[in-house]
Amino acid sequence: MTPVSSKLYADDVSLLMVLIDTNPYFWSSMNNNTSFTFSKFLSHVLAFLNSILLLNQMNQVVVIASGYNSCDYVFDSSTSSMQRAECLLEKLEDFVDKDESLSREESVDGVGFSLLSGSLSMALCYIQRVFRSGPLHPQPRILCLHGSPDGPGQYVAVMNSIFSAQRSMVPIDSCVIGSQHSAFLQQASYITGGVYLKPQVSDGLFQYLSTVFATDLHSRGFLQLPRPVGVDFRASCFCHKNTIDMGYICSVCLSIFCKHHKKCSTCGSNFGEARKQDPSASDQRR
Amino acid sequence: MPQVKIVARNFMDMVASLPTMKLDMLYDNSFICEAILRSLPPLAKKYVLQLLYIDKPISAKTMEEWVLPDGFSKHKVAIDRLIQLRVMTETYDRKKEATYQLNPKFQFNLQKHIVHGGVLPREPMPSNITVRLPSLEELEAYAAEQWEERGVDSADLIAFLLELSFHVTGKAYNINTLTDLQRSIIRDLSDLGLVKLQQGRKEGWFIPTKLATNLSISLADTTSRKQIISFLQQNAHPRVAERIPSVPENVTDQIRLWESDLNRVEMMPAHLYDEFPSKDVFEAACDFAREYGAFLWEDSKRMRLIVKADILNEMKEFLRRQKQ
Repeated sequence: MTPVSSKLYADDVSLLMVLIDTNPYFWSSMNNNTSFTFSKFLSHVLAFLNSILLLNQMNQVVVIASGYNSCDYVFDSSTSSMQRAECLLEKLEDFVDKDESLSREESVDGVGFSLLSGSLSMALCYIQRVFRSGPLHPQPRILCLHGSPDGPGQYVAVMNSIFSAQRSMVPIDSCVIGSQHSAFLQQASYITGGVYLKPQVSDGLFQYLSTVFATDLHSRGFLQLPRPVGVDFRASCFCHKNTIDMGYICSVCLSIFCKHHKKCSTCGSNFGEARKQDPSASDQRR
Repeated sequence: MPQVKIVARNFMDMVASLPTMKLDMLYDNSFICEAILRSLPPLAKKYVLQLLYIDKPISAKTMEEWVLPDGFSKHKVAIDRLIQLRVMTETYDRKKEATYQLNPKFQFNLQKHIVHGGVLPREPMPSNITVRLPSLEELEAYAAEQWEERGVDSADLIAFLLELSFHVTGKAYNINTLTDLQRSIIRDLSDLGLVKLQQGRKEGWFIPTKLATNLSISLADTTSRKQIISFLQQNAHPRVAERIPSVPENVTDQIRLWESDLNRVEMMPAHLYDEFPSKDVFEAACDFAREYGAFLWEDSKRMRLIVKADILNEMKEFLRRQKQ
């Protein structure tokens, strides 16, 4: 029989993993071009976290910061006391300092990009741990509050995270706060059945968050939510990390290349000679 | 005052049955606003959050645009509940269209919560004073032993119960922090198993049990793929439950396919009309159904027509006129 405690986990009980972009290069560019500062952003996010925790006492929120050198958990409502804002801000400050002190040369893509792949993986690991803790758990979902451009070097890692989320039925919601759309996040939300949204007015971020992203998975079956208008499905090649419309695909492991190679750099398969002038005839188009 | 029985599931019904004046007074207390919000159906909670920073009345029509056709009955339930609990008030504008607005006290208290975060009604006592606290299991056993139904009749009790639900299970709270009224109630609550009372050398304290902290949890009852899968997960044989995933992927995939297949077909009540006296009458009937947006299918060769059941009477009347 179903144990009594399973009734505590009603349909709308959520585990929300929030990924926040802390890249100082992105935020300083926002500062120069708009009035939407990092501190304004945080006040909207804190109000949103409070409202999620208000909706149901079983709801859980975990915040992961994506920096340009590292990523880390900065808040977990299951272990924090009631002083949520203080808890989060203190950890976040430590994180930003540590992130800045790390060697810049070692960052995957350089300073302009945030470590989205890393924080997505951390979120998925946390969710897997919750899944394995027992048969009863809240419904997990991931929300990316992201602004930095897509880091081309993270393409493979991000795609792997997306497929892993899809397999575990974890939707990835994306709220893009920068000026440009993110092809990574468009695909992430599309593939996992999450919502992708780029708010028109950053100052009204809380209203977007509470209207769209506060919706629990159960209620999504009954509400009108933003639908994908266009998704940039283009892939990045594994060799130069360029976004490409057409390229070469390894017929063994499906790795993507922008130029013809003799050998697959991923699985080592030997390729035949490409026919000159007509790459689409001998290789599949993507 | 009517005698009411406290049954956790119907607790909010009890609150809803309070007279308007009492209910408005309850909303002065921010803990009550929070507990009421948590007791609402998921869709209703969502609406409150969405309207939290909107100060103007919003039309019923606009709110209906928020829902998918599938969610309309849930939408109705949510709106009714919000009005019943006076979380939202319904007024009619000059065009006699229904508009809704959040209860200002309720709205203010929740805005405060969202900006400042939750504050505990009182702080737990330090462990060096309370010495030995019962374990969570002991507390649960105690609650089960003490639990019984009992008649009570005070809005103050409701307020206190809701406030209690914001305490942490298993922590000790000083009895001195309670009002005289609350102190007189707490003995009864300990008889009911909602709290355990303990006496130290100088001070006394109460420890909320699960019964107190789970008062405002709500449930809904629809079946979906996720629920079937989670049911399978929860009821798996212990040996299977150890595996990850406990429900094999081919099974979950099959359930997903089954669900999407269910959604492929939309069912609606309809009527089949045939044996039309002439092609003209048949075509007029098709046009008539189209005008009402109730036309579903036609077979012009055999003069058969299927129309939504909604306009059965209109169709009857129309066909009767055609005969004359």
